[in-house]
Amino acid sequence: MSLEITEKDGATIVALAGDVDLQTSPAVRQGLLECLETHDKVVVDMSQVNYIDSSGVASLVEAFQVSRKKGSFFALAHVSAAAMRVLNLARLDKVFSIHESTEDALAANG
Amino acid sequence: MSEAVDEMIADVADGGEVQGHLGLIAAMTREFTATRDADVMAKTGLERITKYVGAEAASLFLIDDNGKELVCSACSGPVDITGLRIPADAGIVGRVYNGRSGQMVRDVTKDADFGAMVDEQTGFTTKSILCAPLSLGDDCLGCIEIINKNTGDGLFETDDLTLLETLAGAATLAIHNFRLTQQVVTQERERHELELAAQIQRQLLPPDGGAEFRVHGINMAARSVSGDFYDILPLADGRIWFNVGDVSGKGMNAALLMAKTSSLFRCLAKATENPGRLFDAINSELCETGTHGLFVTMAGGLFDPTTGKILMANAGHEPPLLLDGFGEQFTFFEAEAPPLGIMPGIAGPDGYPTHEIDLNGGTFYIFTDGLTEATTFGGGMLGIDGARALIREHAEESPDRQLNSITGAVRLPGQSLRDDLTMLVIKDMGVHEEPGSTVPVPDSKDSVSGQILRLRVPAKADRLKVIRAGTEQAASFCDADESWTTDLVMAVDEACQNVIRHAYSGWDEPGDIVVDFIRDTDRLIVHLMDFAEPVDQAKIKSRDLDEVRPGGLGVHLIKSVTDEAIFVDPPEGVGNLFKLTKRL
Repeated sequence: MSLEITEKDGATIVALAGDVDLQTSPAVRQGLLECLETHDKVVVDMSQVNYIDSSGVASLVEAFQVSRKKGSFFALAHVSAAAMRVLNLARLDKVFSIHESTEDALAANG
Repeated sequence: MSEAVDEMIADVADGGEVQGHLGLIAAMTREFTATRDADVMAKTGLERITKYVGAEAASLFLIDDNGKELVCSACSGPVDITGLRIPADAGIVGRVYNGRSGQMVRDVTKDADFGAMVDEQTGFTTKSILCAPLSLGDDCLGCIEIINKNTGDGLFETDDLTLLETLAGAATLAIHNFRLTQQVVTQERERHELELAAQIQRQLLPPDGGAEFRVHGINMAARSVSGDFYDILPLADGRIWFNVGDVSGKGMNAALLMAKTSSLFRCLAKATENPGRLFDAINSELCETGTHGLFVTMAGGLFDPTTGKILMANAGHEPPLLLDGFGEQFTFFEAEAPPLGIMPGIAGPDGYPTHEIDLNGGTFYIFTDGLTEATTFGGGMLGIDGARALIREHAEESPDRQLNSITGAVRLPGQSLRDDLTMLVIKDMGVHEEPGSTVPVPDSKDSVSGQILRLRVPAKADRLKVIRAGTEQAASFCDADESWTTDLVMAVDEACQNVIRHAYSGWDEPGDIVVDFIRDTDRLIVHLMDFAEPVDQAKIKSRDLDEVRPGGLGVHLIKSVTDEAIFVDPPEGVGNLFKLTKRL
């Protein structure tokens, strides 16, 4: 698993890659929460995430909750079919702001 | 001998003085060899000489242990001077002692060496002295002195000196023999006591468990008593306590400390199942009563033959060796704590570190430095490499035979061991019924049904990736499509997460998780087994999804993608068995 942070059009793009599971999710959680402390526009690029489990989803949920409290923007982009399946099953597809691409996500924020 | 002397006396019946001399010599020699009491012997001898020569008094002076003073050890005559000490270089006695030749002083007033001190103290008047040394080779044990001839003209004759010198020779041999005998008696008594101690010590060693028993030990003492020990203590449940120890130092003190330590082990082992705590308790007891500078190195623990695992602690002992089941690789286990008996609490608040060692079909060896420091046939020390080579050479043999072969190789004919040698072998037979191996496989008769894969990995987060890969392979084996596989992988992964996070929560080092993939015609069944305490199933339930919060999704995900996900009664030895069923 890797976590890469870049700036794009005034927003922070967090690109996750690899498996987000019980072993790697603590690092994902920490990375996302640190990002949200200093940035108010965060898009998670999940195009390279092969696998995400409930603990990975939990990290995303926690980040989502923090962003709501702070009034920041938090969105997911490029969600793979496997990851989407988990979000669907957890009924979180309607909770997260999910977009085809990071550009779409930023456009949605206006 | 006395008959020969009698005959000789008879032959010279008319010889008068010669017959008398020989008679006295014969009688005294007889007495010297017959008596066991040196003081009585000396006193009787002196009385006979005094009477025979016709003198007033006689005394026997022996040199003391440090060779500085002559001590009167027996006397006859009107004044008892037994115990009187005079410097070895003083007086006429001193002159005889140092010159190693007899002296005849007919008038002591004309002899410059004569010391009148004794006469002044006792009131006795010494006029003449006859004195002969007790010479033994280059050595001199002391002198015999005769004082004041009171027969004839009152003057000693040369003949008297010759007689005294002859008798002094016999007396010297008698005293020397007596001393040698005393030494032998003392040595014999000590040897007997040591033999008794060694016998008691051997009784402290455990009885041999028979050729089929997995744990065997041997103890060979360099002396009759040993500072080494080993013990094997089978428990009612089949597990076996064992140890090998080595007391610093040799001889009786070491043997007594050995006896104490091994008794403590036996007694305290019955009250715990943790070798580290047992070692700590033994250490406290030893320190409480004091070990007078001695200490004990010990490696020992609890072996479970049904699992092939050992719980072991090591207090400063030579590292035990594990030779794997193929007889190839050695692993050694260094001591992490100091020896027993040095200081209470020395191993820290948690006691001596305890480790679990899985023998996994291998053989475990504990020994004392008597093995590594043993002399080999080629001379030189065996060393740890030599010990390993020797162990490897005999690894195929049964444990008791191995001990004989290995110790036989370092016990050179006709030579005693340099050091006590003790060795213990634990052989793991390697056929352990794996917990959960009895999980029933569906008895469908079609060709596709049966077990596909079994994974057994430590219940750690970093192993989930391996489990997912295995799950994918099992699904692929069943020709499942991609989305079916994705769902199964998720279900198995989530179920394993629960084992890691809940079943083994609070474990320092989690146990294993076993995942069985079983095909039953048109379904794939996955059994997940752990070896933790049974979990409270009421706590593991699907959460209400209307509430958005992190965590608690796992069970919901599992139930969403499988046809059945239930806990079933686990087989013997398994903590929890979670069964997933998914139609193909």
